[in-house]
Amino acid sequence: MFGSRNDVPLDKDASSRFLPWLIAVMVYLATMSLIVALTMNKLANRWDQGLSNSLTIQVPAGQSPAERLAIEKKTVLLLQEFKKIPDVKKAEMLTDGELNKLLEPWLGKDVVLHDLPIPLLISIELSQSSARTLDAINALTAQNLPTASIDDHQRWLGNLLGLAKIIGTVSLLVVLLVGGAAALMVILVTRMGLAIHRQVVELFHLMGAQDAYIANRFQLHALKLSMAGGFAGLLLAGLTIAAFSTLLGQANSALLPSFTLTATEWGLLLLIPVGASLVAMITARLTVLRSLALMP
Amino acid sequence: MDFKPLVRFQDVHLRYGNGPDVLHQVNLTLEPGSFHFMVGPSGAGKSSLLRLMYLAHRPTTGRLSLFGRDVSQLDRKETSMLRRRIGIIFQDFRLLDHLTALENVALPLTITGMPLEKVRRNVSELLSWVGLADNLDSKPPTLSGGQQQRVAIARAVIGRPSLLLADEPTGNLDDKIAERLLFLFEELNKRGTTIVVASHNEALVNRFNHPVFKIINGEVRLIRSAPVIEQNTESGAA
Ligand SMILES: Nc1ncnc2c1ncn2[C@@H]1O[C@H](COP(=O)(O)OP(=O)(O)O)[C@@H](O)[C@H]1O
Ligand SMILES: [Mg+2]
Repeated sequence: MFGSRNDVPLDKDASSRFLPWLIAVMVYLATMSLIVALTMNKLANRWDQGLSNSLTIQVPAGQSPAERLAIEKKTVLLLQEFKKIPDVKKAEMLTDGELNKLLEPWLGKDVVLHDLPIPLLISIELSQSSARTLDAINALTAQNLPTASIDDHQRWLGNLLGLAKIIGTVSLLVVLLVGGAAALMVILVTRMGLAIHRQVVELFHLMGAQDAYIANRFQLHALKLSMAGGFAGLLLAGLTIAAFSTLLGQANSALLPSFTLTATEWGLLLLIPVGASLVAMITARLTVLRSLALMP
Repeated sequence: MDFKPLVRFQDVHLRYGNGPDVLHQVNLTLEPGSFHFMVGPSGAGKSSLLRLMYLAHRPTTGRLSLFGRDVSQLDRKETSMLRRRIGIIFQDFRLLDHLTALENVALPLTITGMPLEKVRRNVSELLSWVGLADNLDSKPPTLSGGQQQRVAIARAVIGRPSLLLADEPTGNLDDKIAERLLFLFEELNKRGTTIVVASHNEALVNRFNHPVFKIINGEVRLIRSAPVIEQNTESGAA
């Protein structure tokens, strides 16, 4: 019952020629979108790790050198406290030399920093970021240096992560939309097939063929065509990614995402043509069953 | 297996859309093993009556029973099972051009899920019986009209139907061949198949000794009843 001869001559229909191409394009788009979603997800994770493991504390220096000296002393003590927190890997005050280097482009060389009310900067690196560690740092800072402000990059990171999430979501939406469009296409092609082969379908029906038998003919046809198109689309997407990777590899940019995918991710991509084929098959089946239900 | 009657129309009316009654107040019964002709001019409603019997249409009003079942009470599965017991010879044959003669004849069996290989022998035997032993693998377009018709007949009887419905099977045949075809139907009838043959050729029909229904103004009347045929008199309770 499952896939004997082709007694409904669907192979000769125009649909047999254009459906695989349509499905190929759809699968290509869906695959690229999914890759974008995956990459965005990975990128967001990387940023999340890379950035939230470090934070900066700004301590406003007083107006007078004496004041500044007192604050410096307090800061050094605070650094010792920070180092007692388990997850703090490094806690240090940026030296005048380092600050000089940072400010050089704006202020020029050889500025005597002690003469300017430049804030002190503490740089902290965490082996692992957690709310508890951040809370501890916050508490210590507020206690010892109430005027200091902590920049844990969270707000900036939050915006970036939000953007990455939006791009990821939009990409997944594209996958769904493309899937819906493919299903509509299959409905159209199946209806066309039913119209073209109405005589055959009616004949089978009158001979006592069950609806499922007739639906099988169409669903297997849709499955065959969309598998061919689906895997062609996946292959094209694979080639595109390979080309991108080569180009990006040459550019060797740390900021740009890498397109290397894990086995799981390849499996996920493989699901697109398989999913498209199943959607096509089920859509064709339901379309035929619905139209057969109208026959007495 | 015997149903008394095999086919029963009770006050059946048939209209297409909002048109007039094509069939009006039809009351008739067909006993198992009977052989009837259905005559009337073109457009009288012969094909429509047959379509009701092979379940391509349902009565607009009235009750139609086949094999003892009210057809309006059947679910889809029962309907398709019932259809498998009816052989149809369409006026235009309705052979599938992309299949061989053998595959065409095998259709009533293969659509039930039987593999072609299992039925190949039976089918080729039947095709030999209708004189097409040399054309098993020919596609219908390469066959003559007469050959196509024999393929259509073979297809209609391969499933050993209890009821055989033939719509103008003698349509464009010359009288000699038409007569031979009707002899073939008589042969099948002797083996127990109930037969209804629609024809507009009353002269031809009159050469056979079978009851005749005539459709006039949408009404079906028995215009000639034939003597009871011996081999159909054994009683069989449904
Ligand atoms: N599907 C249909 N829709 C509308 N009218 C139909 C249809 N089939 C047949 N008719 C009409 O019903 C009448 C009987 O047709 P038909 O049963 O084909 O007669 P016959 O087979 O005796 O020539 C004709 O007037 C025909 O035009
Ligand atoms: Mg007719």
